[in-house]
Amino acid sequence: MIGLDVGSTTAKKVSIEDGEIKYQIAGTHNWKDLITGIDGNDIISTGYFRKSIPHRASVTEITAAIYGVRHYFPDADVIVDIGGQDTKVIDVKKNNFIINDKCSAGTGAFLEFVANYFKIELKEMGSFHSRAKRIPAINNTCGVFALSEMISQLVAGYTQEEVIAGMHYAFARRISFMIPEAQKLVLIGGTVKNKGMLSALEDILQKEVLVPDEPQIVNALGALKYYC
Amino acid sequence: MKLIQKYKLTVNNWCIVQKKTAITALVPPELIFACNSEPFDVNNVIPGSKKYPRNKLCAWTAIWQEMLSKREIDIDSLIVVAGGDCHNALVDGQKVAMSGIPTHFFFYPFDGDPDYLESQLYKLSDFLGNVGSPEKPGQIRELKKLGQKIDKKRADGKISAGDAFRIMISFSDLMGNLDKFKEVISSTKERKIDLKNRVALIGVPPIFHDFHDVARALGLAVVFDELPFEFIRHSGNDIPGIARDYCNYTFARPLDFRIKFLQEELEKRKVDGIIHYTQFACHHMLEDEIMRSNLDYPMLTIQGDLPGNTPEQIKLRLEAFRELLERS
Repeated sequence: MIGLDVGSTTAKKVSIEDGEIKYQIAGTHNWKDLITGIDGNDIISTGYFRKSIPHRASVTEITAAIYGVRHYFPDADVIVDIGGQDTKVIDVKKNNFIINDKCSAGTGAFLEFVANYFKIELKEMGSFHSRAKRIPAINNTCGVFALSEMISQLVAGYTQEEVIAGMHYAFARRISFMIPEAQKLVLIGGTVKNKGMLSALEDILQKEVLVPDEPQIVNALGALKYYC
Repeated sequence: MKLIQKYKLTVNNWCIVQKKTAITALVPPELIFACNSEPFDVNNVIPGSKKYPRNKLCAWTAIWQEMLSKREIDIDSLIVVAGGDCHNALVDGQKVAMSGIPTHFFFYPFDGDPDYLESQLYKLSDFLGNVGSPEKPGQIRELKKLGQKIDKKRADGKISAGDAFRIMISFSDLMGNLDKFKEVISSTKERKIDLKNRVALIGVPPIFHDFHDVARALGLAVVFDELPFEFIRHSGNDIPGIARDYCNYTFARPLDFRIKFLQEELEKRKVDGIIHYTQFACHHMLEDEIMRSNLDYPMLTIQGDLPGNTPEQIKLRLEAFRELLERS
């Protein structure tokens, strides 16, 4: 039995073999490569395309996130899942959730725009951030307009590293508005691998944020745990 | 949309003898019929429309504004509910008035003063040409009793939420024809409905024409529709009687009044959770946090913008909400 999370950007497969979590990640367009030789009856699906792929049972990303995070942090009370095209905030204690998907400014796509602009890899963003000496204020709440503001800051003399840090703060501020008071706040999703964004969020919230070892596969694991 | 299509068929026979008066929100249909006019709720055409309005905040008001200004809906006059409900309507209603359609602005009292509402109803009666058929409010009262039975049967799992909603939402204008509407109500088919995951739908009605059916398919049983319930709840036989009853129209009153009413109604219906529908750029969006802090139920807030089918993002929320209720 596997958990398969096919989201807007990537597909994730998780299985548990002898108590050990095994996983594979591919681009969404290559999701079929992950299930070569696997019967649909052995798949518990989640993610945006959960119903379009073969599955024995499907579960929404919200429920999958709760089960997946529980594996790493059993007493987490708020989960923030930053996906490619939406951000979900789940209040586990109050059994409540909100999703931002109307605006790119609080989604992984926003930071992808920034990386594309500088022609760098997303995973390099964190090290650029760490080299920034100043943080320019990017005040715009709209993703597209924030990009024009970013260019204005470059023209004004800020370095690429500083502007990237400024964009991380703009992104983190946007996310922070959605997050309720929490004792244990856990972040998941591919975007969380970006250490620059993470440190900006911790700075804004003035609190430590917990991240599982492999934050991108938590929902696939959660789908599996939900069913099994 | 079936009701609206049927309605359109009857209009062709009726508009020869009766004036057709568009309404933008709840205006006592008792008085409009009594003044020998035929009410037409402009909102009823919106969920099925394919309009992309040029200049909009809320798509509900923007679409009717554009359709009326361009004469895409055939009416003789317009009543805009400008006080106590939709504030965007006050501006969009004036745009329609400027396009040349005789328009009257109707204000509900925020404090529920029946004398104020009575004075508003007399002004409305003057605009409509005064009462000529005083028997109509009594006939409408009888129809509303049937509407209340439909609502109860829905809450008891004997009528689908979609069928009940389509009847109840049509009580704002009673399809412009009391006899025809009575036939439509009578034709509602009873069937056994699974009432697992009982939810209340509060706020303005969703702009998606298939919302109730989608919610049902995803395992949520809508057992209360806040605004349509207001449409069947109020009546009155004459202007003072209508004023005394409609002054408690909850959407026009302060939030604490509306919340107290909701608390009682949701308790009666034994709901497991609440779906709060909000419309993009509508002031009701601001009420969400107040509703959340005062109504002690799991609550899902969704937001719609343009009309059409229920979007996939909303379906995801509904499905996750059902999973959440099943975990509770």
